[in-house]
Amino acid sequence: MRKKWIIGLVGIVLLTGMVAASAYEMTPERKAWLATNPYKGVTVRVLTLKATVSQPLFILGRKWEKETGGKVEVVEVPLAAFHQKIFTDLITGMGEYDAFLTASWYYGDYFSAPEPYIISIEKFMRDPRFPQWDPKTVLPAMKKLLTWGGKWYGIPNDNDGQVLYYREDILKNPEYQRRFKAEFGYDLPIPPKTTKQFLDEAKFFNGWDWDKDGKADYGVSMHLKVGEQAMFHYASFAAPYVISPDNRYFWFNPENMDPLINSEGHVAAMEDIVKLSHYGPRAMLAWTLGEGWDLFLKGDAVFCFTWGDLGALAQDPKESRVRGKIGACPMPGRYKIYDPIKKIWRKYDKVIQVGNTTGGSWHLVISRYSKHPEATYDYAAFMAIKENAFWNFTRGWTGVDPGRTFAFLPPYGTASIQDYVEQGWDPHDVKPYTDAYYLDFTNPLQILYLRIPGGEEYWRALDFALGKAVSGELSPKEALDECYKDFVKITNRLGKERQLKLFRESVEYGG
Amino acid sequence: MRKGYIKFVFLLPAVMWVLFFTIYPLVDSLRLSFFTYRLGMGVGEFVGFKNYLDLFKSPDFWNACRVMFIYVVVAVSIEMGLGLGFAWVFSREIKGKAFFRTVFTSPLFTTGVAVGYLGVTIFHETGGPINYLLGFIGKQVPWLSSGSWAMVSIILLDVWRWTPFAFIILLAALQSVPEEMYEAASLDTSSELQIFRYISFPTILPAFTIALLLRLIEAFKQFGLIFSLTEGGPGRTTEIYCVLNYRTSIKYFDFGHGSAMAFLLLLVVMVIIIQFFGRMRKIYE
Repeated sequence: MRKKWIIGLVGIVLLTGMVAASAYEMTPERKAWLATNPYKGVTVRVLTLKATVSQPLFILGRKWEKETGGKVEVVEVPLAAFHQKIFTDLITGMGEYDAFLTASWYYGDYFSAPEPYIISIEKFMRDPRFPQWDPKTVLPAMKKLLTWGGKWYGIPNDNDGQVLYYREDILKNPEYQRRFKAEFGYDLPIPPKTTKQFLDEAKFFNGWDWDKDGKADYGVSMHLKVGEQAMFHYASFAAPYVISPDNRYFWFNPENMDPLINSEGHVAAMEDIVKLSHYGPRAMLAWTLGEGWDLFLKGDAVFCFTWGDLGALAQDPKESRVRGKIGACPMPGRYKIYDPIKKIWRKYDKVIQVGNTTGGSWHLVISRYSKHPEATYDYAAFMAIKENAFWNFTRGWTGVDPGRTFAFLPPYGTASIQDYVEQGWDPHDVKPYTDAYYLDFTNPLQILYLRIPGGEEYWRALDFALGKAVSGELSPKEALDECYKDFVKITNRLGKERQLKLFRESVEYGG
Repeated sequence: MRKGYIKFVFLLPAVMWVLFFTIYPLVDSLRLSFFTYRLGMGVGEFVGFKNYLDLFKSPDFWNACRVMFIYVVVAVSIEMGLGLGFAWVFSREIKGKAFFRTVFTSPLFTTGVAVGYLGVTIFHETGGPINYLLGFIGKQVPWLSSGSWAMVSIILLDVWRWTPFAFIILLAALQSVPEEMYEAASLDTSSELQIFRYISFPTILPAFTIALLLRLIEAFKQFGLIFSLTEGGPGRTTEIYCVLNYRTSIKYFDFGHGSAMAFLLLLVVMVIIIQFFGRMRKIYE
């Protein structure tokens, strides 16, 4: 299956690479600058993870080389070894790379040294010699991930957040709606608004042939292999169990850095995600991200909550059987929410949904050891200009997800359905997809992004806890209690006072 | 005199290599195991045996030891048993012996990581060939999604890869047993099993021990196959010692605890080897 994916991707990359992105309007300063052939003999070395999200680095890199005369060398590393590769380069001062296609949760580590390991791009942003991307097109939730202490460090690229994809055609089937009501006692909501509805619907559609293809289908598709990105599923799903208008903290108590991860709310979420994992194939426990998507794309799962790639991948008629059949919505919310700081359950009159920017939001940052910071910024900014960014957004295999104003439809943004249709989309799928992302990113209630040193370790500890819970190795409570201890251990090892200070800074804690 | 010097010149690169890339890292990591040291934050304070004590208090450490113990005992036993059995079969005259011997030894030339990724494909639960075939008899095995089956998958791949190692050594040993011994034994018994038990096996025991020792040392260091196949999951059910050691040191840059872990493993392996050689010496004395 993986092989098929890779062959498909390579094919698409080769075919579409030829027509990648369109020309853009250069400033006169840039024209004059390029006329001096400033990057002759310059090679920008970029370290990236081995995933779809690195594809534009190659494709647009060739275009940038053609435009500027510079060279780009992209080095790919598997996700499991990516963080250590970056920080070995930075901590030892080897400076082998000019830029890193970083995850936003690495920021804490970049700022763990007295002098940050990455450089601010603000002076370059103001320089008309470089490709001009408009910072106003970056939504505030995303801007937070690209800045530190109010200064820009990251160049916009990918916009990660998880939304719930569903098979609209199946949920709208009158016969299935009738059967659902008979079983659960209420009308089948399209889409599910609460976690309870989501669980009920996933349960209802699991284990029988609802698409009449001769084999049993599933309620949900997730990827849960340890060492991959399963813990993000938990974070997106668990956010409304804990975050409410009365509490915005999910990870740590900002008063004392005490982990909140084993609170009653977190445990309830873990119990529910374990239930949810039973509404898909057992094999999900060993699946990586692509395999999780594949089940949904093959048309064998009703739900999949994941990143923007899936909506775009669904448009590829060669790989997808769900083109024109999908809906998308922000992650389901809850009425009953636990406040892990006050340690009380609260009930709300309306459903509280929580937005998330969960994931890497993979983007380029420039190493402080870069030998060519100008060329490096030039290359990164070239990928961030509207024309190239939109081209990336609309193709699932680029791994670059939409999140800037020109990717959304009115009234939220400036794109049109036709813009997407021209990139090969089915018109039916455009609006729910772009609206879901806009509503997710602009929700005033957001799960605060973990941006402190050791971010990778905290996430991995949660990853293990999730793995142990879904595999039945430990109960959800035991798994999260263990995760709590791991969090404490990591915090103590990195220095509790320092971690608390950086955590407060990263969440703009006002006391 | 010149000749006396020149040999040292030729030896120098090898000595430097060993000093810089074996002795120095060994001594330095022993030193680090008594300090708090996180890459990027420098060497911290001297903590004595605290790093070692922390490990003994860590459930992850004990889990990794348990996984390692299961893997080493089960996989190495099967490999040695099968290797011996195949060597015995191939030591006699059978048709197509050369062909089968070549095919049989080919897994030895693969790397652990490659075998792990091969396993990802063949044990894939929804698209893999094994479950596909099992589907015809209405069975599906959770090869990688259940902790115990994931361990079975690891052991199966390891057995496939390493049985030829035992096979080659034991075959060579069996073929070196003098024919006269068999002829003499055949006067007393016609039982193949008795001949194997009282003639063949005692004769090849030194080779068997060496093969077992080498396999044990290699098995204790297992990393590539498991990391590429399961990454230690699901949960931490297949997180073997070296995977935990890698995560501690290389992924999280916690060289203090990581060095302590590495030295504990070294200690355990050394004790086993010394015990083994001690017993062997006693037997032969």
